[in-house]
Amino acid sequence: MPLLLTRLTWTLFALSLGILFWNPDPEWMQGTLVQVDGLTRIMAVVTTFFSGIIQSFSRRYMAGAKRINAFFGRLFALTFVVTLITASNHLVLFVGAWTAMGWLLADLIGHVRGWPQARAAARYARWHFLGGSALVAIALGLLGMQSGSWTISGVLAAVPTLPSSVVAVSALLLVVAAMVQSALVPFHRWLLSSMTAPTPVSGFMHAGLVNAGGVLLARFAPIAFEFSPIMLLIVAVGGVSALLGQAWMLVRTDVKGQLGSSTVAQMGFMVLQCGLGLIPAAITHLILHGFYKAYLFLATGSAVAHKTPKKKSAAGSSVLSSIVALASAIGGGVLFAVVAGKSLTALDSGSLLTVFVVLSVLHATRSVVQRASLPSSVRLWAVPGLLLSSIGLYAVVYNGVSALLAPLPMAVLHTSITPLHWGIAALFVIAYVVTEQGWHKRSTRLYVALLNTAQPASNTLLHNRDQYNAY
Amino acid sequence: MPIERSVVSARIENASEYIGPLWPLQTFNAANPLVGFEDEPFDRAVQKAGKLLGGRGYPEPSIFRQAWERGEIDPEILTSRLAEHGITQRPEVLLKRMASDERNPVVDPSDAPLDRVVAKWLSAFLDQGQADWPMPNRSEGFYKAWRAVAPYDGDIPNVSRAADLPDTLLDAFDAVLSGYPEERWESIFVYHLAALPGWTGFIKWRARRANTAWQETYPITLADYLAVRLTLATRLKEAVAPERAKDLPADGTDRTFLPKIWLQAWEDSYRDRLLTDLSQVEASSDAEDDRPDAQLAFCIDVRSEVIRRHIEKQGHYETHGYAGFFGVPMQHHPYDSAVSVKSCPPIVDPKHRILDRPANGKQAQADDHDWWHELDDGRRSLIKTLKSNIAAAFGFVEGSGGFFGGAMAARTLLPSALFRLGKKVGDWIPGPMRFTEPTVDRPAPDEAAPKNGLPVGLTHEAKILYAEAAFRLLGWTDRFAPIVVFTGHGTQTPNNPYKSSLDCGACSGNPGGPNAKVLAHICNEDAVRDELRERGIDIPEDTVFLAGQHNTTTDGITLFVDDDNPPVPEERLDQLRQDLAAAQEGATAERVNTMNATVDTGRAQASVYETERRAADWAETRPEWGLAGNASFIIGPRRLTEDLDLDGRAFLHSYDWDKDEDGTALENIMTGPLVVGEWINTQYYFSTVDNAAYGSGSKVTHNVTGNLGIVQGNGGDLMTGLPLQSLQIDDEHPVHRPIRLLGVIQAPKTRVDAILDRHASLADLLDNEWILLTVMDPTEDNALYHYQPGRDWASHEVSVSPDPALANPLS
Repeated sequence: MPLLLTRLTWTLFALSLGILFWNPDPEWMQGTLVQVDGLTRIMAVVTTFFSGIIQSFSRRYMAGAKRINAFFGRLFALTFVVTLITASNHLVLFVGAWTAMGWLLADLIGHVRGWPQARAAARYARWHFLGGSALVAIALGLLGMQSGSWTISGVLAAVPTLPSSVVAVSALLLVVAAMVQSALVPFHRWLLSSMTAPTPVSGFMHAGLVNAGGVLLARFAPIAFEFSPIMLLIVAVGGVSALLGQAWMLVRTDVKGQLGSSTVAQMGFMVLQCGLGLIPAAITHLILHGFYKAYLFLATGSAVAHKTPKKKSAAGSSVLSSIVALASAIGGGVLFAVVAGKSLTALDSGSLLTVFVVLSVLHATRSVVQRASLPSSVRLWAVPGLLLSSIGLYAVVYNGVSALLAPLPMAVLHTSITPLHWGIAALFVIAYVVTEQGWHKRSTRLYVALLNTAQPASNTLLHNRDQYNAY
Repeated sequence: MPIERSVVSARIENASEYIGPLWPLQTFNAANPLVGFEDEPFDRAVQKAGKLLGGRGYPEPSIFRQAWERGEIDPEILTSRLAEHGITQRPEVLLKRMASDERNPVVDPSDAPLDRVVAKWLSAFLDQGQADWPMPNRSEGFYKAWRAVAPYDGDIPNVSRAADLPDTLLDAFDAVLSGYPEERWESIFVYHLAALPGWTGFIKWRARRANTAWQETYPITLADYLAVRLTLATRLKEAVAPERAKDLPADGTDRTFLPKIWLQAWEDSYRDRLLTDLSQVEASSDAEDDRPDAQLAFCIDVRSEVIRRHIEKQGHYETHGYAGFFGVPMQHHPYDSAVSVKSCPPIVDPKHRILDRPANGKQAQADDHDWWHELDDGRRSLIKTLKSNIAAAFGFVEGSGGFFGGAMAARTLLPSALFRLGKKVGDWIPGPMRFTEPTVDRPAPDEAAPKNGLPVGLTHEAKILYAEAAFRLLGWTDRFAPIVVFTGHGTQTPNNPYKSSLDCGACSGNPGGPNAKVLAHICNEDAVRDELRERGIDIPEDTVFLAGQHNTTTDGITLFVDDDNPPVPEERLDQLRQDLAAAQEGATAERVNTMNATVDTGRAQASVYETERRAADWAETRPEWGLAGNASFIIGPRRLTEDLDLDGRAFLHSYDWDKDEDGTALENIMTGPLVVGEWINTQYYFSTVDNAAYGSGSKVTHNVTGNLGIVQGNGGDLMTGLPLQSLQIDDEHPVHRPIRLLGVIQAPKTRVDAILDRHASLADLLDNEWILLTVMDPTEDNALYHYQPGRDWASHEVSVSPDPALANPLS
């Protein structure tokens, strides 16, 4: 059965890839039950790819596991259900698929049935998912009843005619449901308590399933686009999670816990992009983050090295290296703005993304330039080489996604930039300076607060090893 | 009256005896998890440990059933063993009874605040480089550092400032213990140490090795742990001395216990078959006179047995077994490494520091390597700093995601191609083992920067000492072939935190190649040979010593030879390499049979490719079996076991009783390697018997923590011992056979007795049945005697007929 399902998944991947490039008649793909649009086509390719990799990996990694068929069956069902979510047009089908996704995922978190802590973690996650599904059901039910249409396309078309209070309430409910699914603060704990799942499940979860929050926002973006306070709220919750998640990563000492914290942060960033009205950027982010995080999860066994305690290093940077770093950073920002179609002159929400790119390039260049042991020739060409190749690769994916999403209602909404946006940008710049200078390490209170808020649910920890069981 | 420091320390010291030390993953050492109970008979010890640590002491009934159904337990032996206890029921009935005696309580996990808060702060404090923002004030020690964070921790009630907590360790003990009489302290300590045996085991290891950089910088002791835990217990209103902790764990009782009888029957069956096989070996006397083409010395490791057998088949080759650190107690500083590693057994203290330096004429290769190594290092640190940076991480993920996706697909879908690519890259940019040589000689005084107090290199006297010791211990004083290879061993396995457990145990979980290089270098020195000749070890002029390394995952053997300038005639070298490749094919074909591998046997080298895939596959949780299956430790000349298929279950230590009149060599083998064999065997035994309490559970839910150990899932106590995938072919079928180590020694019984007289602790291990022992006395026509507890011998009665179908335990 594992072999069969793995092959089936790769076949589905090939099919999705075919549909992606074949670009069939849009009419044909528009039904009451399902609709195959740009978002569906991208997500089908991405989901089947991740699922194929995870299953091929698990065929060796999980060999000999007692409930191997249940494991592969659930992984495959999950793949199907996630694709269904992106393809649903009927509201009931969407809610059903959404609920099934949560149920299956919780089941895989508790895959090791004989281990009480795994069962507890599954229960914990299941309650979150059921709550999230209920919110989605209420929101969509509200919209369906008010608009009289029970398809997503119908509801979205009717949005301008609906009472704004109804739309606002639905939008809020959907935002909260997305926050639960993407493990944003304050709903992050289910994700940080989910490491009882076998490693490949974590890979799939962090690369794929948490993204469903983003897909939900993307699918129903026109509803939220109606209200700028809700867009600001999305930006704020995304920003907070992005910042806190990265901060938790600093204090966690276990590899999987660090990766989980990082996922909270990256999901925050992705949702922030949604809040800026940049849905294609958000979808691009969730795909690329998926590659990144799935790789790191599958490689968590590599994390053992001989290390010695760090000496306090005086981060001395010469004037020259600072100039080089700053110049590259600005160059990187310009390059990004050009390839990602951001305006260089007019400030809008897209400018905020440019700020993040500038910070990344700045940091990368500083690290490379300051590394005296690197051969100087390498130091010279490494920065432009890395910049061009990585921004180039990003541009390919981003422009592909943009082109596919262009005809859809959620495409791009250039929201105007507000003081809140500036505040978020400033927060990250300040956080960057603070952590680079090491000022944060002066506060014991902050350290303890971060460590405590990043703890998994208490009954999912294995203190009494007798209670452990491998299957 | 304030309590006394010395009294508390003494009580803690006593209490900590019950906790086995836990090595960090980088130098995973085999150790008996019940080492603190070894002064008691096995059966009582496992009962006592079970009460304290909750682990089981004997295999589950299902394991006995599997052994029974495979015919590994001889019916006659079992029946007579049972009859001794007046049990006459049929074995099948007893298997059912044992199974129904098992209880499986279903527990509902509940919060354990004391364990949780202590474990939280231990993992924060002990972190060895994983977190970018470590716990504050660690340099002041655990108690002080905890006291500083406690006021901010909402989990700890009623502490608003540090001053609310006792100032010092002693004050803390005073505050908690003053209500209890001194006689109770020890049992209180035992109870609290045993609450988190993984973490306390690690503290025990770290505190005893005060010279590790982490312990020097961030000190912690078990006293710190107890002070924090007891103080917390009072704050959380949890019992300091619960009913359970009233007494020290009571000794077990002598009992008629079915699993005990079954285990003994299984062990006897294995023993009798092994001895029957041994007695049927006919020594080939003609080989004694002519000179072999080459001799290869391997580690005593059970994995060597397989490859040795296949090499011997290839031609006129002779092999020897010697502890894989080749008798050189050294600390090795690998070429690219920032740290030195101990490269000798855990029971030996290193005396020399050996560095790798580019060999003469190899500077260009070294420069090449350095260039790429720097680049790789730069890449690694760039990724690390970007992914954890608070603002740069987001752009980084978008820029690098595509590359990670490509790498993930390649590693998952094309592991075999990656192995071949790795080999090619190794040809372009040779690894350090190819272009460096060890600093065997003492450097000029100004060069010898003393680090950790260990001198670099060896003196002339030390060289003579190690060379002579090696040949004397092996009884190998003449008949040297033109080529002699010292072959260390190491594993090849990516993405595996337990890599160290598959490396050479005699080198503290490191590859043995560097040690082999040192001994080969020593033996090639003319001055050393002259001196050895005077002492009766005559090495011919034309004998050349080479070093090599056996890759235990692929069974490939690399010879560390400068091919531009070969020390032996090229055709001889080529022939040797060809034969080693043929041996690799034979050995891997044998081993893949045990691995649930689908190998197309019609294809040439299919088994080699399969093991190479495992050596490069990041998704592989069973790259090789390590020492699984180990069951016996045979001390004697190779002709004793020649042509026997021992299935990779036997440690083989070469020894010639005839050349060891005063018994010194045997004394060294019995007190050194044999004891280490017991550590390995008990680790495999207990990890198999109770994988939760004494092993580390399934790899699929492992979570590496603090760059030092493993927790299961979200965290909690550190796991100890071996993971399930190192012991079992699947969730329910162990490949390792949990039986106790059987020592087999060919030597006069009186000589063994004399050695036991001098070494009480070794005699204890035998009397308490942690090791079983059989002596084959050559002065009595190889009569067999079994050691009996209480320094007694029983002569062997032949009871079973050999059954070749039952010999292979792994099939």
